[in-house]
Amino acid sequence: MKMRNIVDSVEKQPGINIGIRTVLALFGAYGFGVLGARTFAGGISPPLDAAALSVMLAFSLEAGAIIWVFAASTVARAAMGLAAPVALFGAWLAVAG
Amino acid sequence: MAWLHTWSGLLLGWLMFLIFVTGSLSFFRSEINFWMRPELHRAHRVDGGTDSARMIAHARRVLGQEAPDSPQWQISLPGPRFPALSVSWRASESSAASLGGRRGHVGRPAMKRLLLDPSTGDVLKARETAGADFLFRLHFQLYGIDAITGRWIVGAGTMVMLIALISGVIIHRNIFRDFFTFRPNKGKRSWMDAHVLTSAVSLPFHFVIAFSGLLLLAGQLMWSVMRGLYPDARAFVIESRGGRARFDIEPPSGTRAPLTDFASLFETARQRWPERPPDTIVVTNPGDRRATVEIRQSYGGRLANRAAPERLFFDGVSGEPLETPKAEAPSAILSVWNALTALHMGRFATPAQRWLLFFAGICGAAMLASGLALWRVSRLGKHDERLSGETLRMPFGYRLVEIFNVAGIAGLLAAISVYFWGCRLLPRDLALRVNWEIALFFIAWGILLFHAALTRHLSAWAGQLAFSGILFAFLPLLNGLTGGAPLFRSIVAGYWQVAGFDLCALLAGVLLLFAAWKVHGRAAEELSELERPLPPSVVEN
Repeated sequence: MKMRNIVDSVEKQPGINIGIRTVLALFGAYGFGVLGARTFAGGISPPLDAAALSVMLAFSLEAGAIIWVFAASTVARAAMGLAAPVALFGAWLAVAG
Repeated sequence: MAWLHTWSGLLLGWLMFLIFVTGSLSFFRSEINFWMRPELHRAHRVDGGTDSARMIAHARRVLGQEAPDSPQWQISLPGPRFPALSVSWRASESSAASLGGRRGHVGRPAMKRLLLDPSTGDVLKARETAGADFLFRLHFQLYGIDAITGRWIVGAGTMVMLIALISGVIIHRNIFRDFFTFRPNKGKRSWMDAHVLTSAVSLPFHFVIAFSGLLLLAGQLMWSVMRGLYPDARAFVIESRGGRARFDIEPPSGTRAPLTDFASLFETARQRWPERPPDTIVVTNPGDRRATVEIRQSYGGRLANRAAPERLFFDGVSGEPLETPKAEAPSAILSVWNALTALHMGRFATPAQRWLLFFAGICGAAMLASGLALWRVSRLGKHDERLSGETLRMPFGYRLVEIFNVAGIAGLLAAISVYFWGCRLLPRDLALRVNWEIALFFIAWGILLFHAALTRHLSAWAGQLAFSGILFAFLPLLNGLTGGAPLFRSIVAGYWQVAGFDLCALLAGVLLLFAAWKVHGRAAEELSELERPLPPSVVEN
């Protein structure tokens, strides 16, 4: 119930709402882009191709994630939408070594 | 999504306008550098094809006198973008150490350079100037802060630009239908039409330029991606530039031997590449038995390998051709990378393509300027100080946007024109001349910011547009009066590097003066509106 109240108050205060979304866009989207790129392109060889593809993917994913963060209807949804794939990518990278 | 587009565009719009304007000018970096050194305008024009032997002889004579012990010479023949003959050499390790000399980016002594008249071989003593290189560096790493921080800021701005472009296409669903619509004198609607028009006319360019701009800064912005794949980002940047196979040059033997006649080698290369003739000769270990002559094109014709030039190597004593290693064809992924980054820098571009890139860049700047103006016009309707009756003062935030709009758009253009004037009017022997030129740019911009803050909005626009318009329009005259090739003479002589700059400055000046005249009319209307008595309903409130 208490958690619910916090989420509600965040949604109702534009300053905090935008602040959290901005932090998510700055750091969450960057992390999402980096992890996503390493997951998809990390195994490619030679390293030159892997790095080039990773970087192009990372920027594309980051741009998509920033748009998602600001387009999601609620802050909670925006955060979950980033956290879930980040966790998935992280797990994949941890397993793949 | 509209919210995201509006605010991302507003917060970094002024920075992106600066990046677009200076980036567009950088497509003509060589030409601007040439214009900014009027002493070079006296160089006689030559036919690069038939006169190459004579030019090479001049260059060789000067290099023999100036740098007989240098480990490397470089001769760049005049081309359509820079009509002076350039000779440069690397200082020998001993002389660099004794002079406490500067070192290049790979730790070797830095290159020294002289410019020669291609016809007579006389040394052209050009003034010291930051030239277009200042605008070029301002474009991607700003100024007055360390380069790393500057690139982070530019990188962040570029990402925001990409977001604004994507969200802009989403919110302007009918962008391509609206492209054919322009309704003048309709206030907000006209600004919206102008914004859509300038966006749509070169939309693919804007996407490519924003994305490739990020790629060019990737070594820094995406270090965490590269870290696992490369020991350091610099190695990736160097290797990705690739495009040419490594040619290992042997160290000098210490035995003196006369240099071969490399004018004939140059002729061989010219016949081999008639479409894209060579323009550069690099001589390594001149005067040594292991001397090597490399002849190369300025740019190749393939975007996929980043327009890397073709090269030929010769023994510097016997003139025998040496086996030139073949560069590996880039992979599909690297081809995409190379094509995008080469496009961003116009590495491949013919004059027509360079103008197209410049025009697209100016459209981008106009898109940003109209977007910023639209923000102000949209809010003015909602908060009209006279009709609301609630307040006679504009909110501080709106006023701040107004000030930054004037100083960030008209003020920047005026500061650039002041920079060009400064280059021509500052005394040639002034100590720290380059720093003074740059200081003039920022002093002028700072004053214009104050002017925007202290003057009514439309009057500030009109004043600054007129100021920059006059400065640009009179640049051709200034050029003629301060030692440069006068416009009529450069046109008659077909000296298009100089004439092109002068004509563009004249056109920019006329357009800015026209804009100033239009805004001045609006400012006068606004003033007469304000002088009218308030309606009774507002007075009662």
